Amino acid sequence: MAEPTPAAGGGGLPQFDLAQWPGQIFWMLVIFAVLYVLFSRVFVPRVAGAIDAREDKISGDIGDAKRMRDAARAELEAAAGELAIARARAQKVALDAQTEAKAAAAARQAVEEAKLAEALAVAEARIAAARAEAMSHVRTIAIETAQAMISRLTGAEATSAEVERVLDTALPS
Amino acid sequence: MAAIEPMEQFLVRRFVDFPPIPVPGLGMVDLSITNSVLFMMIAATLICLFFFAAAKRELVPGRLQAVAEMLYGMVDNVLTGGIIGDRGRPFLPLVFTLFLLIAFLNLLGLTPGGFTVTSQLAVTATLAVMTFLIVLAVGFARNGLGFFKLFWPSGMHPAMSAFLMVIEMISFLIRPFTLALRLFGNMLGGHVVVYIFATFVIGLGAFGLQGIGLNNLGLIGSGMSFMMVLALTALDFVIAIIQAFVWAALTCVYLNEVVNLDHGH
Repeated sequence: MAEPTPAAGGGGLPQFDLAQWPGQIFWMLVIFAVLYVLFSRVFVPRVAGAIDAREDKISGDIGDAKRMRDAARAELEAAAGELAIARARAQKVALDAQTEAKAAAAARQAVEEAKLAEALAVAEARIAAARAEAMSHVRTIAIETAQAMISRLTGAEATSAEVERVLDTALPS
Repeated sequence: MAAIEPMEQFLVRRFVDFPPIPVPGLGMVDLSITNSVLFMMIAATLICLFFFAAAKRELVPGRLQAVAEMLYGMVDNVLTGGIIGDRGRPFLPLVFTLFLLIAFLNLLGLTPGGFTVTSQLAVTATLAVMTFLIVLAVGFARNGLGFFKLFWPSGMHPAMSAFLMVIEMISFLIRPFTLALRLFGNMLGGHVVVYIFATFVIGLGAFGLQGIGLNNLGLIGSGMSFMMVLALTALDFVIAIIQAFVWAALTCVYLNEVVNLDHGH
């Protein structure tokens, strides 16, 4: 460093040496002005801009996320509605198919039953005929049996007309 | 042993000589670069370097940017926003510059071999008068002659108000002096006290090392003085920041009075 400037009067504070004031005042004002301009034009706008941009980005992102969530929720609801409609339709289809199948089965059953009833009637008629026929042979058999018994027991022959007459009184047909 | 000169550290020395400039009304003015001016420039350069490195527009801030944004947030939330309110934003660069410049000048004074610019009354007085004039200018620009309502206490007998107005005006006009002397006194006192205790460390230590005898107790005094130097230096670091903050906060308080004059206090 250079030589000390002429010191303030014996032992006093150097700060009160007024010869040192103008230079310090001048330079302090100049330096402060430069710093102030830098701060107001460059530094503060940059820092504030960065903070604002970050806040904007965050709030924007939150907004986007909210919008997406709402959209997803709406889609979910739409899907649920569609699902309910589809389910109802499927139920209806199933029900229709069931009733249809039931009706078809019933019709088929009716047809079979009718067929069976017919066959039954035919069979019954045949049985009745066979029975009637059989019953008509019973008299002849009885007469023949009676003639045979008479001839074996008495040795005499009985005509069928005689047997028939007796049979009529004993066994009214 | 060197002479004990606690004030020698405040001596302004020429560093780069400029020829004196004749200024009308003031005579010859010496604008040489002194150690005081040199440290102003160092402080300003450090602040600029820091902010050119730190003031980035990254979405995810790095370390330096985070520090810059924290400082900005402190000034914005506590000082201009907290004290002045919604109308404080335009004054943020001023308060920010004052705070950082004073803080850096104070802290540079605590570095080994550093010169404490803020222990120069010329410097604190310059900043104080500048702050005062800015408040005055803002007051008149915002309120016109309604600025004088600042001194008129309402809701009192007019005679009482007139009396109080005188006191209010004196307390207003005294502000540049209190601003300048508060910082000047804190810096001067802190450095002188550290210097005195440092001389005790050397003096008592040298005394205590002379042979064997009761004077060896001087070593204890020397050690205690060294602890004091350590503690006071730590305290001075705190004071360096606090005084810068106090200056910035008072600037905001003064600005708040004139900016929100129509809002009532």
